[in-house]
Order: sequence, then C-alpha cells, then structure tokens
Amino acid sequence: MPAPDNTKASKAKREVAILFDGSLEGFLCILHAYYYENVSPLIIQTEDNYQPTLDTEEYHILSCSTIATRVQGGIIKKISPQAWHTLSSAYLAAYVEDKYIAMFRYLLLGFRVGAIVDDHLYEDCVLRVHKFARQVGRETHLLTGFCRFEETTNNIYYCPIEPTNYVLPRLAEHFSDRMMNQAWIIHDKKHGKAAVYNGETYVIADVPKDAQVQHTDSEAQIQDLWITFFNSVAIKERVKPKLQRQLLPLYFRKSMTEFQKKPTTRKTLKRKSLISLEQKDLPT
Amino acid sequence: MDIQEKLQLLTEAAKYDVACTSSGVDRKGTRGTIGSASACGICHSFTADGRCVSLLKLLLTNACIYDCQYCANRRSNDVPRTAFTPREVAELTMQFYRRNYIEGLFLSSAVVKTPDYTMELLIEALRYIREEYHFGGYIHVKAIPGADPALIWRLGHLADRMSTNIELPSETSLLSLAPEKTKPAILTPMRFVQKQMQQSKQELIRYKNATPFVPAGQSTQLIVGATPESDSQIVHLAQGLYKGYTMKRVFYSAYIPTNAKLPMVDTPLLREHRLYQADWLLRFYGFTAQELFKSKDENLTLHIDPKCHWALNNLDHFPVEVNRADYLMLLRVPGIGQKSASRIIAARRIGNLDFPQLKKMGVVLKRAKLFITCNGKMMEKLPWDPSVLEMRLSENYVGGAYTQPSLFDIAPAAIPMKQFAGKQLLLEAASDTTPFLTNIDDSPLPVLPPIEDAS
Ligand code: SF4
Repeated sequence: MPAPDNTKASKAKREVAILFDGSLEGFLCILHAYYYENVSPLIIQTEDNYQPTLDTEEYHILSCSTIATRVQGGIIKKISPQAWHTLSSAYLAAYVEDKYIAMFRYLLLGFRVGAIVDDHLYEDCVLRVHKFARQVGRETHLLTGFCRFEETTNNIYYCPIEPTNYVLPRLAEHFSDRMMNQAWIIHDKKHGKAAVYNGETYVIADVPKDAQVQHTDSEAQIQDLWITFFNSVAIKERVKPKLQRQLLPLYFRKSMTEFQKKPTTRKTLKRKSLISLEQKDLPT
Repeated sequence: MDIQEKLQLLTEAAKYDVACTSSGVDRKGTRGTIGSASACGICHSFTADGRCVSLLKLLLTNACIYDCQYCANRRSNDVPRTAFTPREVAELTMQFYRRNYIEGLFLSSAVVKTPDYTMELLIEALRYIREEYHFGGYIHVKAIPGADPALIWRLGHLADRMSTNIELPSETSLLSLAPEKTKPAILTPMRFVQKQMQQSKQELIRYKNATPFVPAGQSTQLIVGATPESDSQIVHLAQGLYKGYTMKRVFYSAYIPTNAKLPMVDTPLLREHRLYQADWLLRFYGFTAQELFKSKDENLTLHIDPKCHWALNNLDHFPVEVNRADYLMLLRVPGIGQKSASRIIAARRIGNLDFPQLKKMGVVLKRAKLFITCNGKMMEKLPWDPSVLEMRLSENYVGGAYTQPSLFDIAPAAIPMKQFAGKQLLLEAASDTTPFLTNIDDSPLPVLPPIEDAS
C-alpha cells in the first residue's frame, strides 16, 4: 500500500474538492487518489450533499472494491488493526462537516507515524476521529441494552430503532450472536434500513421508514408483566428522576416499552398473615 | 394469585438486593441456543431511583421460616406471601430475554421449609432455563446458608455467579439480629464455592467440555447502618473477603428501615457511596485498607472522597510529576482515574506533556491540578497547606467559597450510639464488634493469609 509521500510529490498536488459516493469503499479510494493521482483534498464531501462553488475544482472518486481492499490491508498492516477498527467506527458516526476530512488526515498521519498515531492525543484529527468512534461505540453499547423486540404474528421478533449514528451493522453483529435461535428484524427507521436475520445469517437491506407489523396476542401481556417488574423494582424512598434522566436520556425512551405504555393498574394487595398461606401457593 | 400479582410482590421483596451486575464473564452464543454474556455488562433500563436494570431480579418465594430483624420477609412480619413455581420463573426469564428487556436472571429466595428444599427449587428453575430453553445468558443465584454442599455443587454448575450474603459486618451483630444464621453457615458455602471454582478451572484446562462452576465468581452483600460497625471494620472485612475468599464483589447496602423491626434511622446514602469508593480503591487502585484508615473505629469522611482524604494525609508523596510518575502513582492522584492514567502513559511516549495538552486529552484537572506538576511546574500557585487543599477539594467548594451544606450537619458519619438507646440487643452488639473474619481459628475454616502491603 501507499508509501508515505515524499515532499517533492506533495508540493505538486492539486488542491481540489473531493466528492465520493458516501460508502466506506469510496472513502478508502480517496487515499489512493491522494497518493497516486496527486490530488489533495480541501474538502471531502458526498456527491449528493455537495454545493458546487466556482473557484474549487471538483474531483470525483470512483468507488472500486479492489482498491478499497488494498487500502484497508495497508491500514491494518502499516498502522494497526486497532486504527482500522477506530476508522470504521468513526465512519458510522452521524455526519458533521469535518467528519471525512478528519478521517482522512488521521490516516495520513497514521501512514506517516504508524501504530502510535493513536497516542497523538493532542492532534486535532486524532481527537476528532476518536471522538466519532467513541460516539458510535457509545450509542451501540447503549442500544444493545435499550432496544426492545416485539413478537409478531409470523414468528419474527421486530425491533424498531431511531439511532443518531448508523449503528445498525454493529447491533446486527451483536444480536446475531445473542438471539441466535430466533428470527428477528432490527429496523432503523431513521436511516431507512433494516437488518433481517433468519436464524442463521443476516442481511442489511433498504426498508421504508413506515413499515408496519402485526403483534401476537400474548405480546401485550408480556409487555404488561415487564412494566410491572420495572415499576416494582424501583425503591420508592429513593426516587431520583434527574439521575434517571442523565443515565437514560429521554431520546432513547421513545422506543422503550416501559416508558411508552401506561403502567398496569396496580392492585393493592391485602395483607394476609403467614398462616393463611395456602398449600397450593407453595411450589411442589 | 395471578402472575402479575406474584411478580409485583416477589420483585418488591427482591429489590433491595444490590448485587445486580451482569459483568465478569464473556460468552459467545452457540448455534441452537439463545443468549450470550458480555464482560462489560449491559444496562437494559434505569429505574426511577436511578439504578441500572440488568437482570430480572426475583425472589422465588418470600415465605420465610427465618426471622431476621432487618428483613421484610421475616416470618413474624405480616405481609402477603406467595411463591413462583420454577416453571414460571423459567418462562418469565425467557420471554423477557427474547425481547431484550434483560441481560439474564438474578434469582434469590427466602428459606421455605428447609434450606435444602429451597435449594432444590432453585436448581429446578435453573435446570429448566438451561436445559429446556437452552439459555446461554447470565444467571446469578443466591446460595441458601446451611444448604447441603452437594446441592451447592449442582446449582453452581448452572449459574454464572453465586452469592452468599454475609448480611452483617460482625458475628455479634449477626447473632443478635439474625440468630438462625450462623457464621459457619455463611462462610462454609463461600469456602466451598471458592474451592470448587479453583478445581473447575483446572478441569477446564484438561477437558474442554467440562461445565464451568460459577465462572463469573462469587459475590456477597452486607447491610450498612443497621448495626454500629465502623467503616474501617467494614473495609477491612471487604479486603479480607477479596484476598482470602477470592470474592469478585462485595456489595454494600445502606439500611432502609422499611417494615423491619429495627430503629428508624436511615443510613445516609452518602456513606454507602463512600464505601463503594473505598472498595473501588481496594480493587483497582492498589490501595490497602490499612492505608485508608488510621484506627479501628474510624469512618470515611463524608465531605471528601477517600482518595482525596488519603492524599491529604500523605502529602509527602506529592506533587507528582506527570511526565515521570509510574502508572500506580498516577492512579493515586485525586481526579486521575484509570482512563486518564493510561492516556497519560501513552501520550508521553511521544513527548513531554504540559497542562493544556492534558486538558485536551480529557484529563479532568479540577482536583488533579492541586497534586501534579508538568515539567516541574504547578498549574497554579497555591500554598502547600493541607487545610487550603482540603477546602479546594471539598465537593461543595463553589467559586472560591466553601459552603457548609446543611446535609452534613445532620448526617452522622456513623449512627450515634444514643439512637440505639433502649435496644439492649444492639448495645451489646456494639460493645463487641469483632470483625467477621477474625477469630475463626477454632472454626473448621482455614485461616486467612496475612494481608500483604500492596504499596
Ligand atoms: S432468611 Fe432472613 S434475610 Fe433471608 S428472606 Fe428470610 S428473613 Fe429475610
């Protein structure tokens, strides 16, 4: 893979606005263009987001999986597997203006200094990329706990999510290991994608944001049981709504059963002394 | 009683148990089964009191034959009684797990009929879950004090973690408040589990397919504030449990006087919080209990955390030069945690660090700046005086003035003895607060190894 450039070549580079298709493959091809086509990005932008200006030359990247694979191999070998993991996580982060350019500079620095790029904790591009990766890691981790599956009539468990970052691939990976013997669909309503698992493998496909599902009859009952548990397990003497909001932002609650459904009406249980504990109430 | 009601009752009876983490074991899913375990632990929700919901926390039954004074399930208490069948527990666990409500199950129980009978019910519930539903997720189960080791052995092969609660921090307290539970009845299963775990580890090396015994280790819980032991005694006890019994976690539960016979003193949650901080220092920061306390009946200070307190009492170790100090010393700086310490170690390989760089790396300098130098320089000029430092460290230090909050005026560091007046029982307990793990030479249990100094 690309050798670190020498100064002579970099002097001659054309400064352009690099446009690519938004895929990770396409992004990796930018590196190839930088080293072999002598272009240096002023900005990096996806084709459909770009507002053309008169004074910057546009450079369109053609996604090519062969090149992308080579660049990926180069990152793993010349920088580190860890750096590849960080970069591919950062790629999933929600779009902000400097996202791609920071990722690009991170890689350039990486090719120059090697594995210790991740120790350059006061370089802006390193900090930014780490931040993106952390943001994705954090949302993935939270959603692995906070997302909820619902049983549908065709025996598939359906899980709607609306994440800020595109964490679906990471979630699918997690649940294909965890929920191995049941079919499920994780539907990212925000990005219009869904991961569909049939009990063996999963695929990620485009799915309209408003797809509807039909629940089984017992689903509502189980949800009620869960809400009962959730409300009973809290210690009423120590209610701390502020802390709860800090740990579980309102943002996540809209897809969580226990915050969406009304709590079941709690029957007030009458006290009965131990003597009246009937034999049939005890396990046999 | 329908399942909704049972669930409500038996959850409320289990909710005070704090040992609700699912961490400590990493297990991938396998074909044809459901469930995996994640070492870092996953929270599935947060309750109104701000606690993480990770496990389905249930009591199999609350119909207890014992009469522990601090517990709402004691037989002399007039509350509704009920019990799940093992099948119901299994069914609930699976339905919840399939919907990603929970990380696994935490099953505990009151003692119904006999300890052995209760254990058999627990085993049956876990057997359904593991063998019929092929559940590979996390299970934490309580061992019942006084149960037959053969039953503990079976239960341990079905669970990830097992705990036997030590309940109270000294034997005298235990005797006075939970007379049916004895020290040997609690410590014997602990020792048994520890031995079996070691053996199981060796077996696993030899035979790949051996079923692991309690792979996530054992834990215990004790109630703080129901009896007059000092923090020093409690932290020393915890240290003994970590070192002598290879305990994974010791949990502290601030006593809540709900529906129990004991006097109505609410133990400040802050005390519980400080105990957890001290516990953290023992487990991850290389501190020993001896370093944290000077005397036997000392309590942790409430207005600053135990690490700051230690730093103020050991100012000769400071200031620490960030560019040279080793990892363990960096960890001892107030405000520097494991993450910051390892970031510093990584970044200074590239070059010398200064304060702006530390800040950029995410090291929180609010407290740390008082104890460190960068290239020989402090960040601010401050008189090197413990009382000035203490004022700056206090968590209620706002914008230059130290405000004495009213909470600390009323919250006692430990419960003053006079609050127990009239409770002859407790006064007796107070006069002899022999730590739990000492004086066990004449019991059939092995003596704890001497505690070596980690510093
Ligand atoms: S044994 Fe004691 S602590 Fe346990 S449930 Fe019974 S009364 Fe409560």
